[in-house]
Amino acid sequence: MELHIPTLAPETIFHLGKFPVTNTIVNVWLAIAVFIIVGLIIRNRVNLKPGKIQNFMEFFLEKLLVYFDQVTGDRKKTLSFLPLVGSVFFFILLSNWLGLLPGTGSIHIGEAPLLRPANADLNMTLAMAVSVVVISHIVGLVTVGVFTHIGKFVQLGGLIKSFSKGPVAIFTAVINLAVGFIEIISEFAKVLSLSLRLFGNIFAGEVLITVIASILAIVLPAPFMLLELLVGLVQASVFTMLTLVYLTVMSSAPHGEHS
Amino acid sequence: MSLINTVYAAETAPHTTAESTDGGVLATLGINSTLFAFQLVNFAIVIAVLWFMILKPLTKKMSERQKMIDDSIDNAKKIETNLGMSERKYQEKIDQAKVDANKFIEKAQQEALLVAEATKEKTKKEIEQLVETARKNIKTERDESINELKEHAADLIIAAAEKILSAKIDVDKDDKSIEEAVKSLK
Repeated sequence: MELHIPTLAPETIFHLGKFPVTNTIVNVWLAIAVFIIVGLIIRNRVNLKPGKIQNFMEFFLEKLLVYFDQVTGDRKKTLSFLPLVGSVFFFILLSNWLGLLPGTGSIHIGEAPLLRPANADLNMTLAMAVSVVVISHIVGLVTVGVFTHIGKFVQLGGLIKSFSKGPVAIFTAVINLAVGFIEIISEFAKVLSLSLRLFGNIFAGEVLITVIASILAIVLPAPFMLLELLVGLVQASVFTMLTLVYLTVMSSAPHGEHS
Repeated sequence: MSLINTVYAAETAPHTTAESTDGGVLATLGINSTLFAFQLVNFAIVIAVLWFMILKPLTKKMSERQKMIDDSIDNAKKIETNLGMSERKYQEKIDQAKVDANKFIEKAQQEALLVAEATKEKTKKEIEQLVETARKNIKTERDESINELKEHAADLIIAAAEKILSAKIDVDKDDKSIEEAVKSLK
């Protein structure tokens, strides 16, 4: 019995002109199709007096908004971040759970499996992480202002002002300047940690289920698949919460700005 | 595991992996610039679909419902306040009406007393007038009766005297004696 442990890179299924279409992209398209269908259903049925589907979705969304409020501390802010964080949450959740569909990893086109969880592709997680961090900086620039936002990372103004305040102030300003550079590095670390965490967890889940299924394909993978459901939810929550934290921090004025 | 012939896809199908042409750490991790751009576009599409087709309609409807609930609560409070005010006004009007009614009743009673007093006075006067009229009539009738009685008495006396005297008296003397007799009666 052959054991096809997934590769780190997604497998190319076919090409659209020059562009390769991988099995993770197929998974993303599948997720988009599901979202479009749900969206069409909601568009037709959304009402002030909600039906069962709308009621369920609103309940879920309301719970999510309450969690988001705990981070932002303000419903208005939560709603302004919802287009990004809500989309991130539902997309990660659905794409992770789609990876548990029968056929994922087992239906092959040539030697490549047709379906593979979208987040088991570092390109996808990296794209999301880069988008989130870049958007958080755009939000920061818009909300707190260009100079205040840049001042969080490059604190030259404090250094210049410190020259008139004495050696202790200069020392503090130099440390702040160094901290600013560390902050710049941490922005890259955010991208790395966000993308690698999600990719690592989902990819590891795929490998685990593949290995378990190769030992005994019936019954044995079930508990691990249930575990993957939980992992999918947890990872979606972690990514979303971190995104929300980044957005909230970037949209807040730095300490001392209020005074 | 000896039965399992572990075949790493990286070894068995190197031509199928997308990063096979690139080199370095990124290629090892499967990162490919074309795929990265593709996934960025996909992610943008996902955000657009999720926001415009699902989250926005839902949040909009939830906001509308929340606004409607808030408005309803505000309206209910306003109605409650208005109701309280109306009840107070109603009670004030009722109290005022009671006060007015009591005043009217009191006034009516006073007027009734006055009317009764006036009527009583009027009746008394009328009765007095009647009594006076009756008294006058009685006096008149009595005088008339006395006069009639006197005339009858004179006639009787004359007749009696004529009979007793049985004498023939001169007419002039007769009349004179009669008149004197009458005058003496008066």
